[in-house]
Amino acid sequence: MDDLTLVTGAGGGLGRALARALVARGQAVAGLGRDAGALAETGQGLPTGRFLPVLADLADHAAVLAAIAALPGPVIRLVNNAAVYPRRDILDETPGSFMATVTVNLGGPLACALAVLPGMVARGRGRILNVSSFADIAPAPLAAAYSVSKGASRILTRALIADLGDRFPQIVINDWMPGILSTPMGRADGLPPERAADWGAALALMDDVSLTGTLWEMDRELLPPRTFRRRWLDRVTGQRVLARRL
Amino acid sequence: MTPDVIVIGTGIGGGTAGRALAEAGLQVLFIEQGPAGHRAEEQHISVTLADPAARLLRGFWPDPVHVTMQGRDRSFYAPLGSAVGGSSAFYAATLERPARHDLDDLVDRPHPTGGWPVSYDAFLPALQRAEALFAVAGQPDPLDPGPGLPRTRDPAPGDRLMLDRLAGRGLHPYMLHSAVRRLPGCADCMGRKCPRPCKMDARSAGVEPALATGRATLWDRTRVTRIQLAGGRVTGVTVARAGETVTVHAPHVVLAAGALSSPRLIVASGLADPDGPAGRYLMFHLNEIFAYWPGGGGDHPASKGVGFRDLYHHQGQRLGMVQAMGLSVGADEILQHLRGRAADLPWGQTRLVREALRLPAMAAARAMGRASLMVGLLEDMPQTGNRVLPDASTIRIIYDLPDETLRRRALFRRAIRAAMGRVMFASRAPDPNWGHPCGTLRMGTDPASSCTDATGRLHGTAGLWVADASVFPTAMGVNPSLTIAAHALRVADDIVAGGTHG
Repeated sequence: MDDLTLVTGAGGGLGRALARALVARGQAVAGLGRDAGALAETGQGLPTGRFLPVLADLADHAAVLAAIAALPGPVIRLVNNAAVYPRRDILDETPGSFMATVTVNLGGPLACALAVLPGMVARGRGRILNVSSFADIAPAPLAAAYSVSKGASRILTRALIADLGDRFPQIVINDWMPGILSTPMGRADGLPPERAADWGAALALMDDVSLTGTLWEMDRELLPPRTFRRRWLDRVTGQRVLARRL
Repeated sequence: MTPDVIVIGTGIGGGTAGRALAEAGLQVLFIEQGPAGHRAEEQHISVTLADPAARLLRGFWPDPVHVTMQGRDRSFYAPLGSAVGGSSAFYAATLERPARHDLDDLVDRPHPTGGWPVSYDAFLPALQRAEALFAVAGQPDPLDPGPGLPRTRDPAPGDRLMLDRLAGRGLHPYMLHSAVRRLPGCADCMGRKCPRPCKMDARSAGVEPALATGRATLWDRTRVTRIQLAGGRVTGVTVARAGETVTVHAPHVVLAAGALSSPRLIVASGLADPDGPAGRYLMFHLNEIFAYWPGGGGDHPASKGVGFRDLYHHQGQRLGMVQAMGLSVGADEILQHLRGRAADLPWGQTRLVREALRLPAMAAARAMGRASLMVGLLEDMPQTGNRVLPDASTIRIIYDLPDETLRRRALFRRAIRAAMGRVMFASRAPDPNWGHPCGTLRMGTDPASSCTDATGRLHGTAGLWVADASVFPTAMGVNPSLTIAAHALRVADDIVAGGTHG
């Protein structure tokens, strides 16, 4: 069996578009989701055997680990796309309801990473792309659990790099903000998910070790902020730091 | 479980001895304090990462070493490995042969200790066997070619430029003797773990082939707390393994924990007097690191593999060989250096000065192109007061530089400058290479001033051999690895030969 690319949340929205875009780019994709019908729809029209539905609920980490262990080939790329966004007033949350969101949005990417990392470590290479958001910077109303969990998942990216980056530099890990999409989680006037998926698929297929730890928004890299002095010096010394574009 | 031989430590000495013993048909148990790790790891050795558990996980020596040098105390992380492969997992794989005068007492080159107890001619076959095991490639030293190497090594473009420039100055450069096999996709893993059996180190040329015989076992994350003795004979070792204390018996023990640890274990086991020679005569090399501009303009790649021995023995003095380090230097590195120098001046720490130094740094980089970093390995001399203390729990070092060494150091720097022209030294203060310790259980015939004999047997104890750089009577003017491996092969020979007649 070919090396697999695992996409979570593949039953709809951006995850479906990512899975299809990756298949179109020659990948064998394992699409994880909790709705068999929706996953089957994702695979419609794709070449036989290039899309593999993986039925599991990201909230059930043991089931996720078992489903990934049962895949017919090694996962060499992981796109952590799935998330839930309950839109709930903090006054309506219970500790249990709040942590259920964290279980999916933080625990899901963690479980998937832990499931695929042993294979990547044995090979000394791999690719993890975490679909991310700015929700943690200025949490919106009704988004407490979503903002906290998505912010924590960005910390998880940095923590994975802290533990693995020096030992396995060819396991390339970074975050990507797809932008606001016209999906149920986004806004009606957002981007079509197929547009964003083109960028995400291209990024997921890039293996340059210098991508580790970088942050991308839509089709471009966001560089860490420079101080005024640094910008002045870069100008004087003729150094140009260019953000990459897809 | 009763192995024929317990090997303590899996660096160059232990890995090589254990491989030779297993291939000779003996049952070998390797005991290693550090982890086996994952084979695909590529981490560089770090002297800044500060968490002991994170260090050990990566195969770095977990704790700081404590050094009292010229009366000043300091503690720092040394570039020492603590992993399967030991420090060699991270080394640059430069396996240079020592010169005849490193071992022998010659009329025109008297030896500071009267000579090693093994002659160069007796030692040379072991050096050649070690070169074969480690697949060493290089060019012969034009000044003293000696027997041929297993493989030749062609210069890369950066090497070619440097070979031409140095030869043009009347020097005799050659491609360094390297244990990197340069398989397709080779990333030249200097200073970091190689993810494949491409760099030949104590894993790929030692422990892994030993395990492949089926006669070797590896216990990693296992610390030897005591070598056991009965009636003047070694009977085994006691270890701490997975939270338990275990004693393993064996008729032979090869001690190869490294020159900073082997003497501490000997003393902790009651096998040597804490006030005797064990732990003394500690030596390092003094690194003389400098930037060299070969000229020729352009952004030529750094040389990774050129060295020369024109100054190895110079004006009647033992100095050392000079080698490219595989790193190139541009404006940023020059700036760091200038800032370091300026910090000694009254206004040197001010922001204005620090920023102003960018201009000469850029001008230097523009005018002269990129430089190659090079290092001269100045031979250290045995001093009875330079020692690793018999402290079982941590590495404590007392190390002073006598005037004699400082004079040789000044001579070496003058000679490098005169020989090479455009150079800039990285530091004015002496810079001991803490990754090259040796001499702390030195070979000799007199138990009052040495600990081991010419084949590494501990004086007065049957069944115990030392197979690391502890046994070196002198530090030599080359990297220690090949000599450690060659000595380890002689240790294995001695054990195998003894085994056949009881």
